[in-house]
Amino acid sequence: MAALELLSDEGYRADGRRATELRKVRARMGVFAQADGSAYIEQGNTKALAVVYGPHETRGPRSKALSERAVLNCQYSMATFSTAERKRRPHGDRKSAEMALHLKQTFEAAVLTELYPRSQIDLYVQILQADGSNYCACVNAATLAIIDAGIALRDFVCAGSAGLAEDAALADLSYIEEAAGGPQAALAMLPGSGAMALVQMDARLHHERLEAVMDAAAAACRAVHAVLEEAVRERAREVTALLGE
Amino acid sequence: MLRTEKVLQLRSQQGRSVRVVREHYLRTDVPCRSALCRASCPRDGKLLSDDVTHYVVPDWKVVQDYLEILEFPELKGIIFMQTACQAVQHQKGRRQYNKLRNLVKDTRHDCTVFANEFHQDSYQPREKGECMEKWQTRSIYNAAVWYYNHCLGQMPVVMVTEDEDAIKQYGNETEGVFVISFKNYLDNFWPDLKAAHELFDSILQARHEREIESQENKGKEYPEHLPMEVLEAGIKSGRYIQGALNVNKHRAQLEAFVRLQGFGSKETELQSDILIYGARARNRAIHGDVVAVELLPSHEWKGRTVALCENETEDKTPADNTGDPMPTGKVVGIIQKNWRDYVVTFPSREESQSQGRNAQKILVTPWDYRIPKIRISTQQAEALQEYRVVVRIDSWESTSVYPNGHFVRVLGRIGDLEGEIAAILVENSISVAPFSEIQMNEMPVSTSKNPWKVNPEEEKKRLNLRDTHLIFSIDPKGCEDVDDALSVRTLPNGNLELGVHIADVTYFVAANSYTDVEARARATTYYLADRRYDMLPSVLSADVCSLLSGVDRYAVSVLWELKRESFEILRVCYNKSIIRSAYKLVYEVAQGLLDGDTSVVDDILELKDLDERTREKKLSELVWAISKLTDIARHIRAKRDSCGALELEGVEIRVQLDDKKNIHDLIPKQPLEVHETVAECMILANHWVAKKISESFPHQALLRQHPPPRQEFFTDLQECASAKGFSIDTRSNKALAESLDKADDPLDPIVNRLLRSMATQAMSNALYFSTGSCSEEEFHHYGLALDKYTHFTSPIRRYADIVVHRLLMAATLKETKDVKDKLFSNKDLEELCKHINNRNRAAQHAQKQSTELFQCMYFKDKSPDTDERCIADGVIYSIRTNGVLVFVPRYGIKGAAYMKNKEGLVLCCQGERSEWKPGSLQRFQNRITSTTTTGESVTLSLFDHITVKILVQTSHCHADTIKLEIIKNTPYQTSATEVSKKNFGVVKADLIREVSQSAEALSAQEKASSAVIEEQCLEYQEYCQTKGASLYQLLEEIRDWALLDVSADACSC
Repeated sequence: MAALELLSDEGYRADGRRATELRKVRARMGVFAQADGSAYIEQGNTKALAVVYGPHETRGPRSKALSERAVLNCQYSMATFSTAERKRRPHGDRKSAEMALHLKQTFEAAVLTELYPRSQIDLYVQILQADGSNYCACVNAATLAIIDAGIALRDFVCAGSAGLAEDAALADLSYIEEAAGGPQAALAMLPGSGAMALVQMDARLHHERLEAVMDAAAAACRAVHAVLEEAVRERAREVTALLGE
Repeated sequence: MLRTEKVLQLRSQQGRSVRVVREHYLRTDVPCRSALCRASCPRDGKLLSDDVTHYVVPDWKVVQDYLEILEFPELKGIIFMQTACQAVQHQKGRRQYNKLRNLVKDTRHDCTVFANEFHQDSYQPREKGECMEKWQTRSIYNAAVWYYNHCLGQMPVVMVTEDEDAIKQYGNETEGVFVISFKNYLDNFWPDLKAAHELFDSILQARHEREIESQENKGKEYPEHLPMEVLEAGIKSGRYIQGALNVNKHRAQLEAFVRLQGFGSKETELQSDILIYGARARNRAIHGDVVAVELLPSHEWKGRTVALCENETEDKTPADNTGDPMPTGKVVGIIQKNWRDYVVTFPSREESQSQGRNAQKILVTPWDYRIPKIRISTQQAEALQEYRVVVRIDSWESTSVYPNGHFVRVLGRIGDLEGEIAAILVENSISVAPFSEIQMNEMPVSTSKNPWKVNPEEEKKRLNLRDTHLIFSIDPKGCEDVDDALSVRTLPNGNLELGVHIADVTYFVAANSYTDVEARARATTYYLADRRYDMLPSVLSADVCSLLSGVDRYAVSVLWELKRESFEILRVCYNKSIIRSAYKLVYEVAQGLLDGDTSVVDDILELKDLDERTREKKLSELVWAISKLTDIARHIRAKRDSCGALELEGVEIRVQLDDKKNIHDLIPKQPLEVHETVAECMILANHWVAKKISESFPHQALLRQHPPPRQEFFTDLQECASAKGFSIDTRSNKALAESLDKADDPLDPIVNRLLRSMATQAMSNALYFSTGSCSEEEFHHYGLALDKYTHFTSPIRRYADIVVHRLLMAATLKETKDVKDKLFSNKDLEELCKHINNRNRAAQHAQKQSTELFQCMYFKDKSPDTDERCIADGVIYSIRTNGVLVFVPRYGIKGAAYMKNKEGLVLCCQGERSEWKPGSLQRFQNRITSTTTTGESVTLSLFDHITVKILVQTSHCHADTIKLEIIKNTPYQTSATEVSKKNFGVVKADLIREVSQSAEALSAQEKASSAVIEEQCLEYQEYCQTKGASLYQLLEEIRDWALLDVSADACSC
């Protein structure tokens, strides 16, 4: 069997999208009442759930608290049923620790932590179904959850991924595209200012191509932003309707 | 877009069944790509034409099995459904799939792909329990119906399928959509296309037999190949080694070598080739395949055969004399099959009868020794006995000793000149149909009555050099396709301006036009011994693009500003220009002018009809320009020598020249200085263009590299040289050149020639490549000692130059947006480079084989015992265990001469005659001695001159070969030697002329048309003279040519 063609000569990817098209994104805020904030997002078959507690007093040793800003505590996990084969995923393995760190860095750049001194914000993200661009789904879900919790943010944080096939940039990679082993970049962006909160890139890529890949990722971020904003407005309408009663 | 999901059951790596869910997006904006479409489908790119009687939709099975027939250009309006393409990709592998992709991309074929699975209305989800095949057929049928409706029923759609149920089920379901079998289709729609019918029968029969065979499933002849995943993993881990299989031409049954490809991580200790010994170890791989090899334990290693041998019978006896053991392995799998069309010959009547009961299956013998016999089925065996025919290999099952194939077409009679030339073309996969009407329609009109004129619009855009510059071209006599011209002048500020002007072919050949596609496919002009096949139609190559004198032509000019005295380059610019060449000079005339020889002036046509004074004035201008040019060239060359340490290149030219003399009559013994001047200017232009395009397009420029040679290839040369007491230093190109200069025997100039040609053979080939796929250190050109080099100066004859022209235009022009879009991406360019390199190699092979063909035809009519011409002087250049390799300078033939014949008798030279007597042979490093039982002995050493008789060994199935027989162990001495030494080159040209004339005479008798002869004669002359449009290019070609011998020789040792 010949190797899978990521981008056909007619310009279609394996799942029928064109190079710059995203998968279908659906988002919902406020899925759990007990947490301070929560959100659920689907990007194609990648499904993620984010929950936020806080800001609240720091737990554990007092020394952890910072006098001038809040501590951001992130945890990332994948459900055992999130992939094609069920697999037990121990807590705190290298991959999820790395992902948690990335999330933490991303949101420390966006949350106005100096408004909440000596306090802690907990952010828990779980992948329910994995089908590529997991980091991006987590960031997008977390953004909605933080907004739901009413924590002050500089701007939305939107994430998009991009890869390269046949010299063309592909936006929003799915699992098979990631598994094909090409270069892939993940970008988290504050769309208002265009500032980048985090850029992650694993493979070697000629710098000539970098621009095309980054452009595709940035375009994906902006497209996601529109969806997230709509989700926030939807939520706001719901809440005000409740208040009206 | 509509989002749906597909659920697949796949096998995981551990073998468990896994349920995989994949998204599948449906859309409405899938373009139909038909010219008939009334809806708002985007219409860019290739469209399906609307002037056909119907559209054909082949079913997946038809695409898989009969793609060859669908490739016929007569079949038009083919719609390949995505479902069918994917079926090919999954089940037939990459090679077949790429073939399909190329077919679709090729603008000459009227076919297209419709992505039916992504269109909302034509997608059919697979139902539960429906088998894959049924679903594919149903999808394709539904897509065909959709297509019919989409075109509003303007065009009937015919779906061809091999599935009987589908024909029954869908046959009458929709009006306007017909479902019929492929055979039915060919019968009804193409009853006249005989070739397609034959091919169909042949494929069908081959398939049928395969099925029967697999049922019989007799004892396995070969081990099974390992699956691809295992091979890939094995290669990664270093357990298997990947490489291209190279069969030894002289021992095709037994020996093959695998040259390593892409060194893996671990096996770096393995530097040499790997020997594959025997047919079982080769395991059905065919010459040229990329294979995975497993090494055998070292106690099973074998040595390669060092004895000379003739490739006649199936030599099953193991060779008794072998060299040192070398790494030996066996093929475990074939990674990529490189099967092509093969020229074969049917066995003679007696042989075919002895082949036994199954009269329909016949073993045919390929023309190429390295290809195993092929089993084909045909009823025409009797009728085709005397013909060369083309076959294709279909499969090679592990149960079968020989591969199965099918008959494709007839080329011509055995021994007939045209038939043999056609065989050479097919063997090198060269296809040179005459240019089609559609291609000729793109050409500008230019006849003698109505010559082509410049377009006033275009004139404004170009730099006008017609009045300001004295431009002239220097070429061999009678050259028609002048693609380069030169100019030099003094600027107002006192500096000099040097100009190289190259014909602007890209103006006439738009990217992706029909002519462009054809030129890309040909990649180069093919030169055979007596004819040539042009890359571009002759209206371009000989007229509109040729920079003739006295007419306006479009050109691309590279202009350098040089400092007055030091000739330092201050500025360079690249322009599209319009020029009028003032003189079309011949090398000899230019040299005459340079030397102050006034007698040549009469040969300059352009000066004929002028009065004395203007003539004097014009002449002095021209002489000044030529001498200035020579000064500049000398200077640039000296500068290159000093900073690049580049002695070798000059030497190389001389090597080529030496080789050249006996191959062609064109090159005079002493190269004229103007040759070097022109060559130097071309190198300079190529170098600067290479710099420019690689700067502007760092990852998609086409350059030419020449990697430094591997040291171990020089061992032969060093051994040979030490026999004469010379030492060769091969550490750098400069050292090599100097030591070669020293290795000169004043008594015997041939020694130096042989050493030089051996040095040339040790070099690697110069190759085109794309800058995006190599690191910058690898750009280096070893031969020329330049950091960057490309080909820019012969766009009429080479496609690479056309690509470079386009790159240069995109790099220099301002309004480049759409130009840039048309450039090749790195990946496409890399593919194109591979293709061009490949075609160049094929061109060289074809040229060499056609020369050999003529040699054989020349000697065939002579009776070796009586004819003077068959006896010549030879020089020994290599010693083997049972004979020597001899070079015959007079005819430029290299060949083997035996000292031990098949009965085991050895050669004994006594006086005038040599005889075969019982005795023994002893081989030493530099000499070989035969001793007869009666005590007489003969010793031959390297570089000895001997007298040989030239014989032709005729062969029914293969090309005839030249054989040499030693007559005397002393130099051949007659008065004729002296004469022939003087007329060295002429002999060879005579040879070609004589053969082609006799062939023509024959054809003339048959057809009684003298016009044909005249035309061919003309073509011949044209060939001889256009071949070397400039000396430099000619040398480039010959150098590559000389390198080819290496593989042949490497095989024989």
